[in-house]
Amino acid sequence: MKLKLDKKDFKPFLQSLIEEYDLFAPVQLVEGVSVFKKIDHPDEVDLSTPNPQKPAKELFFPQSETMFRYEKAGKKNQMTSMEEVKRERILFGARPCDIEAISMLEKVFVGEGDTDVYFLEKRKKTTIMGLGCNHPLSTCFCSSAGGDPFLRAGSDLFFVDLGEAYFVELLTEKGMAFHKNKFFKEADPKDLTLVKEFEEKAFEKVGYAIPVEGIEKRLDLMGESSFWDRIHEKCIGCRICTYLCPTCHCFDIVDEGEHQRGQRVRNWDSCLSPLYSLETSGHNPRPTCRERTRQRLMHKFNYFPKNFGQVACVGCGRCILYCPVHFDIRQAIIWTSPKRPKRFGGGTI
Amino acid sequence: MEERSKAIQDRIRDKAKELLSKKAVDLIIGFGEWTLPLRTTPIFIRSPEGVDRLIWNSFCENNLATYLHKFAQFKVGLVVKGCDARSIIALSLEKRFKPDQLFLIGVPCQRMVDRRKVKRAVKGEILRAYEQGDQIIVEGEDFKKALDRNNFLYPSCQVCTHRTPSQVNALVGDPVEESPLTETHPEIMEFEKESPEERWRFFEKESSRCIRCYACREVCPMCYCNECFVDSSNPKWIDKGPSPSDLEFYHIVRAYHQTGRCSGCGACERACPMEIRLTYLTQKLNLDVKELFDFETGIDKETLPPLSTYEMEDKQEFIK
Amino acid sequence: MKNPYLPIPMVVKKASVETTDRMLRTLELSFLNEEDAKAFRFIPGQFCELSILGKGEAPFGIASSPTENGSLKFTINKAGVVTTALHHLEEGAEIGIRGPLGNGYPIDLFKGKNILVIGGGFAFTTLRSLIVYLSHPENRSRVKDITVIYGARMPGLLLYKEELTQWEKRSDLKLVVTVDWGDKDWKGKVGLVPNVLEEVAPSSENTYAVICGPPIMIKFTFPKLMTLRFPNERIYTSLEKRMKCGIGKCGRCNIGHLYVCKDGPVFSYAQLEKLPKDY
Repeated sequence: MKLKLDKKDFKPFLQSLIEEYDLFAPVQLVEGVSVFKKIDHPDEVDLSTPNPQKPAKELFFPQSETMFRYEKAGKKNQMTSMEEVKRERILFGARPCDIEAISMLEKVFVGEGDTDVYFLEKRKKTTIMGLGCNHPLSTCFCSSAGGDPFLRAGSDLFFVDLGEAYFVELLTEKGMAFHKNKFFKEADPKDLTLVKEFEEKAFEKVGYAIPVEGIEKRLDLMGESSFWDRIHEKCIGCRICTYLCPTCHCFDIVDEGEHQRGQRVRNWDSCLSPLYSLETSGHNPRPTCRERTRQRLMHKFNYFPKNFGQVACVGCGRCILYCPVHFDIRQAIIWTSPKRPKRFGGGTI
Repeated sequence: MEERSKAIQDRIRDKAKELLSKKAVDLIIGFGEWTLPLRTTPIFIRSPEGVDRLIWNSFCENNLATYLHKFAQFKVGLVVKGCDARSIIALSLEKRFKPDQLFLIGVPCQRMVDRRKVKRAVKGEILRAYEQGDQIIVEGEDFKKALDRNNFLYPSCQVCTHRTPSQVNALVGDPVEESPLTETHPEIMEFEKESPEERWRFFEKESSRCIRCYACREVCPMCYCNECFVDSSNPKWIDKGPSPSDLEFYHIVRAYHQTGRCSGCGACERACPMEIRLTYLTQKLNLDVKELFDFETGIDKETLPPLSTYEMEDKQEFIK
Repeated sequence: MKNPYLPIPMVVKKASVETTDRMLRTLELSFLNEEDAKAFRFIPGQFCELSILGKGEAPFGIASSPTENGSLKFTINKAGVVTTALHHLEEGAEIGIRGPLGNGYPIDLFKGKNILVIGGGFAFTTLRSLIVYLSHPENRSRVKDITVIYGARMPGLLLYKEELTQWEKRSDLKLVVTVDWGDKDWKGKVGLVPNVLEEVAPSSENTYAVICGPPIMIKFTFPKLMTLRFPNERIYTSLEKRMKCGIGKCGRCNIGHLYVCKDGPVFSYAQLEKLPKDY
């Protein structure tokens, strides 16, 4: 169903959502830094930063999450599991790359084997309102990674900024539940034409092909290549790329508190940390940055595809923008391939 | 400015070529061009033919001394600015490397440009940037703007009085006049006027954005502990999550561990993806150390940092 | 919906020190809740995450066999925070487990075959489970010959000394126990496991080999298995890696695209050959 929302109705629309749901949208913390946060007032929403630093995965897989609380009551331990999500939630303003990543995380957490109840509860109780990318950045390469700036898949409602209004497409059953929203009107053919124009322009911008296709097979042959001796050199082993990556899902489980009372918590972790695979004996299967960088790249472009049929990268470009030493994953991908894209990157001359 | 940069760039390349040809070093660590505008990247050259990738401009913002820990088993030729060279001196006092392990190619620094400030000065994505005289020309899809570089320098560079690296093996430029653009960090002076409650609120706000990525720790040449206090599980000093008290504890203790060792290079703040203003802490501590102990990191190759030694005459008014 | 991260409450039924250096302790745990006991079904080779609230969790191979009803046995080496806490548990103390996890030994493939079990040091835990299971009257006829070679550095460091004595007396099971260095009371074999294997020289025909031990032992035993013509598809081992969730979500224990917790910990050498050498 194709509808539209006038910009003058945008804030009242958000207000109507806030009344019924926990509404999560991009919020600016300081100029240039934004995250997805629960908002209490429509004025808090900030769509000026193209893509918030912290990805939308936070809503389903928080950086720190209490799994259960425990208390020693007499003889037995009482454990209270914390997966319940009390109120229905809406995620507004996530880009197609972040939304595609959430679908990938679903495969890991909910797909096969045991079900991660924490992720599932949050996912079930969330309606996703995606936002198309009229102006992808030069660091975006979603279309090389199997997505695109206007990918609808994963969204329940999909918004496109047309200037004076938002085009709104209701895609799923959850999305259709909003068709009676008093702020939505019928979209007219002019709106649809405008959407098409934005789409074409955006596709052209991200259309420089990074050779992600076939990378799984190329990496199969590169297990002991000297490529790994060079690629890790400038990496300093911080965790920015893994924490800001929408698809990275490694976590650590720790107990906080004491034996009388406390909680078991899971926190984001990173395979780039030397502690990650360090065993109590002192042995570390991945002792240097070389092995850890190899693990990260292989996991994204070889192991994950073997298990789930797609690369664990959505081309959002956050790792490129925020790496302190300017590691560019596109360059790493290109170096695995004999093909070179025609136009790539800007640069300082 | 760009002519001076070009001359320095040529001299860096010549020196690197000479060192590699003579096999005086195993590798050269310097700056190179990469894919994004307003940025350079650390590059690692092992053969004389590769030296043409080395560049020099106002975006060489990383402190390359941090790589000495990673490449400890090699003989390294390192491109250093004034602040980086001070880190090296501080590291040598801590006996982190053998004296003949390094060849320092010192560059008198023209002060580095704050790329985030430049980004904020324009509307839209910057796709290309280059220096022209004392200007930075930035181009986007539908704009082209010329900015005066002096208005876009990093705060740590504005107050720097040690831009010419000392104790280096080769200086590839003429020493520069050592006067700061601003007397003390003007923001620190304002900050010092505030009440403790206001200062705490500022610090609370800044540290609340922290995502425990530890980029500040990893870019810092002085953070090289095999086991950082945050990673210790026995004893466990702090938890690993982003609770406010843990975030504040981390930043306070890390800053404290830097006292008397920090060269004020600003790499920590430049690395932070959440743009936390870390140099407030480090600059303030550096000023305090100067006042209390008359010590500045990395100037003198003999004097030990004040917090790793003591004198009977040390001031004690802060012990109440 | 079952929360896979919530531990099943257990109580310590019995705790005993296994080795003379006091570093290895066996805990026998029984279920606090009847329904949990009924629902818990496992095969040898699987493991559980033992959970001490306030300290953390760690994975341990189940040392008891499914045929030993009612309680589960785990042998723990004191090494870090969690294992030290496990060593301080008294009888009657409450503890949690999550499991059974992992894939277990390929019991189905063993049908009608000879089984060669090679164990070293305290890696013997899940091998005990396998041997007790296979030698149980209900299961003994499922496999043909069972040969067990078990070595430790010193006599005091052998695990499950009582079981070893019983197995030695059996005629339907060949047990060879060896130590690297004997002591004045030791009357058994003295020799390194790889050399003893060479001596025993079991036939590889129709035989599956299961080998668990420290890396150094495996490094020298594996070539001997090759000499005896064991093909890679018929040599199984149980791997260990640092684990957290134990269910293939946290990403930590992968070797290549396989997770040691979920796709292992038991792997055949044929499988391992195809994986990166990153362990």
